[in-house]
Amino acid sequence: MNGALPTTIIIAGLALAVYAVLLTAFNQRMGAILLGALGVLEILLLVLVGMIVARLAGGGHPADLPVLIGYLIGIPLIPVAAAFWGALERSRWGPAVAAVAGLVAAVLMVRLHQIWPVIHV
Amino acid sequence: MSEPKAAPELSASQPTSTRTGPGRLLVAIYGLFALAASSRAAVQIATKFHHAPVAYVLSAFAGVVYIIATVTLTAGSRTARRICVVSCSIEFIGVVAVGTWSVLDPASFPDATVWSDYGIGYGFVPLVLPVFGLLWLRYWARRDRSQPTIAPPAGDAGDSALPPSEIDRQERP
Repeated sequence: MNGALPTTIIIAGLALAVYAVLLTAFNQRMGAILLGALGVLEILLLVLVGMIVARLAGGGHPADLPVLIGYLIGIPLIPVAAAFWGALERSRWGPAVAAVAGLVAAVLMVRLHQIWPVIHV
Repeated sequence: MSEPKAAPELSASQPTSTRTGPGRLLVAIYGLFALAASSRAAVQIATKFHHAPVAYVLSAFAGVVYIIATVTLTAGSRTARRICVVSCSIEFIGVVAVGTWSVLDPASFPDATVWSDYGIGYGFVPLVLPVFGLLWLRYWARRDRSQPTIAPPAGDAGDSALPPSEIDRQERP
């Protein structure tokens, strides 16, 4: 499993966070572009989860399987939760929620690598 | 693809509850930490409690504090806000106390908690989060004091509870 996808997710998450922070700074609400970016992030995360599950099914042995499974369940929820919670907000603070989701997605790639080093970054 | 214009004056400058405006971001971060701290503690206590009992119990405690903050900020009633002030204060004291303890006595913490080393593993967010929480709650306490008649929702018998002089003052232009 090479590091292309986790690296892409880190870059995408950080780019989304920067764009969202700019929207907050310029007093903009959640828009179609930001929701679309969250959708792209969601797809990338789902593909990654699929790849990790395939690796587990193929006989991989992470040191801390329960924690890894917790992450696999939690990770795809992040962009979805941010999209719904942020879209409810009709002020600049909606994009701020999306910024958190982008940052968290990037940070979790590093955490995944710590939990199971075969997931390269 | 059109970006919506900035929100109308009222909702932009005057959040309608503790979960809107800046509260939207606070609830999101508190919710994230509630999930992270409590699920982490649950896994650790269930699978390897004896490895670092102090750290895991403190993680669980932190998880409970974050859950209380998330729920009370979302609810936003006067009572909920009072509970939240208490839990944010406990949270801040907890981060400082556990942070100091983990620096002075690392042997008690073979495994990290959310609050170890003042929350360094979480970008020090645990240290600043209760400060912003308390500032947000203070904003609401002040708003309550300066505009006491805004608070009661419709059907709350707010009129009868108001002294006549107060009503007078409200209706004067």
